Amino acid sequence: MGRIDLASLALAGGLAVVAAGMLSFTFVTPFRVLLGRTLCLALGLLLVYHGAQRWPERWRPRWLPRWLLTTLAVALAAPVVTFVVYVASVGGDLDLLLDSGPWIRGLTTTSLSAFAVGIVLTLAALLREREARALALELQLELERSRVERQAAEARLAQLQAQIEPHFLFNTLANVQALVESGSPRAGPLLGSLAAYLRAAMPRLHAGGPTLGEELTRVRAYLELMQMRMPDRLQWRIEADAAVEPLPFPPLALMTLVENAVRHGIDPAEDGGQVAVTAARGDDGTLRASVADTGVGLAPTAPVGTGLSNLRERLAALHGPAARLVLSEHSPRGLRAEIVLPA
Amino acid sequence: MSGPSATALIADDEPLLRERLAAQLARLWPGLDIVAEARNGREAVDLAEQQTPQVVFLDVQMPGLDGVEAARAIVGAAPRTIVVFVTAYEQYALQAFEQGALDYLVKPIDDERLATTVSRLQDRLAGAGPHDPPGVAGAADVAMMLDRLAAQLGSAVQAPRAGGHLQWIRASVGQAVRLIAVDEVIYLRSDEKYTLVAWAGGEALIRKTIRELADELDPQRFVQVHRSVIVALAHVSQVVRGPNETAEVHLKARPERLPVSRSWLHLFKQM
Repeated sequence: MGRIDLASLALAGGLAVVAAGMLSFTFVTPFRVLLGRTLCLALGLLLVYHGAQRWPERWRPRWLPRWLLTTLAVALAAPVVTFVVYVASVGGDLDLLLDSGPWIRGLTTTSLSAFAVGIVLTLAALLREREARALALELQLELERSRVERQAAEARLAQLQAQIEPHFLFNTLANVQALVESGSPRAGPLLGSLAAYLRAAMPRLHAGGPTLGEELTRVRAYLELMQMRMPDRLQWRIEADAAVEPLPFPPLALMTLVENAVRHGIDPAEDGGQVAVTAARGDDGTLRASVADTGVGLAPTAPVGTGLSNLRERLAALHGPAARLVLSEHSPRGLRAEIVLPA
Repeated sequence: MSGPSATALIADDEPLLRERLAAQLARLWPGLDIVAEARNGREAVDLAEQQTPQVVFLDVQMPGLDGVEAARAIVGAAPRTIVVFVTAYEQYALQAFEQGALDYLVKPIDDERLATTVSRLQDRLAGAGPHDPPGVAGAADVAMMLDRLAAQLGSAVQAPRAGGHLQWIRASVGQAVRLIAVDEVIYLRSDEKYTLVAWAGGEALIRKTIRELADELDPQRFVQVHRSVIVALAHVSQVVRGPNETAEVHLKARPERLPVSRSWLHLFKQM
């Protein structure tokens, strides 16, 4: 809401001078006197304008929008204030005022001019205020948007940093070192897998959205590394339709499920198990990506890990309720997790 | 120098790491005989019992029985066994033992650090005659330290169990047995035989009774509002009072209303 500032006072004063100047052509009254009246009138209407703008919400009738209230107030105030000014200028002598033709004419002319100018100025001022408000709102929205974006970026960064578990990294490095020292030809390909896995944790520099194909590359790299580390306990396979690989896919969504399957399903099992990753289009056109393991399964009191709850939130944020993360028991044992994305 | 002869066991679930440690030890301590290699904690305990090694190198994180549990069993059976833990990264609970009765190594193990451990082990084995307690600390002390370590790591490694409350509800949906996270559940309502579980994405029948569920679910998040109804507080939009001391629960994400019976009405007195 606008305030009575120097600019609005100056504008009212300036208009009063112009009005007095114009009236002085038609009236015999000296310019100074006219100026005194128009100044009083301008200030009075300015006060009425701000008064109407500040009129308490609870006293404003529902059917009367505030812009109309303000305009009506100024329009009604124009003749009233003019009359008061004129009464004051004749020293309060109403008889003198009402009996004199020139006085009545002056009063009417001034009232009508004040009425017209008042309405035009009020509407202009209201428009300007609305534009200022819209601009402020837009700025605020912009600020809000950038804040949300920053938060999302921070969340992504935190998630990526959390992905590389020190246990995983150092155990893997120890394995690679063992292969290098023994001169094994497997060392080279495995370093390649480690690089592919780590690349997923770096901020993306290239353009183009993340695809399911990229996600499967990471998952494959991870499973290769884990199989090097537990060759007698982990078997894995990936079955993906070539047609779904170019489709967009939230990064690390499948990886979270595969890491859970290895860490909480296979690793605690002394004799290990199998991890099967599949990706295909469902009959209903949805994209379905699943991770099934034959590990120890999920205890009914096992807390919901942050990985799973983050994933659920991300899917909801990206696709709304159409995206689902469905967990079910895998027979004869283990867990199956499926991500369903809308067509 | 080949060092004095001694026997050792290596336990790690990752074969390459077992091989590497064996190779490093062969270089640094040729006199040491690796009498057994174990793939998990249980195997380590069994093999230690059969082979009675003087030193055991135990990976802390192993499937089934972890390294600390295995150490407790091994030291419990043969108090003179010297334990060296191997861990993937610094665990501060282990640092306390670096100079004490237990030693620990961080993977990837570098030769220099392993050489320090080897010379400490040789000193302790030399000092431990048939009538002396092993090493600096007595066997009883070692057992006590292991108990403490197990308690410390137990709480750190196996994430808090959320107070043991039910976290997943098994529900048959078609052929599959779905696992529904309880934080997704909106309400549970029973009829004669089955209980209906309703969540934002659907509903299913389960075999558990309301009474069982009331015992197993976290009472901070779920309240029983009726003989046959449990509702998740987070999903309640409002409770509307009806005549005769009754009320209905309105839900945020579902249109149906749930009854509140008189005896549970006090739960909502303050709402």
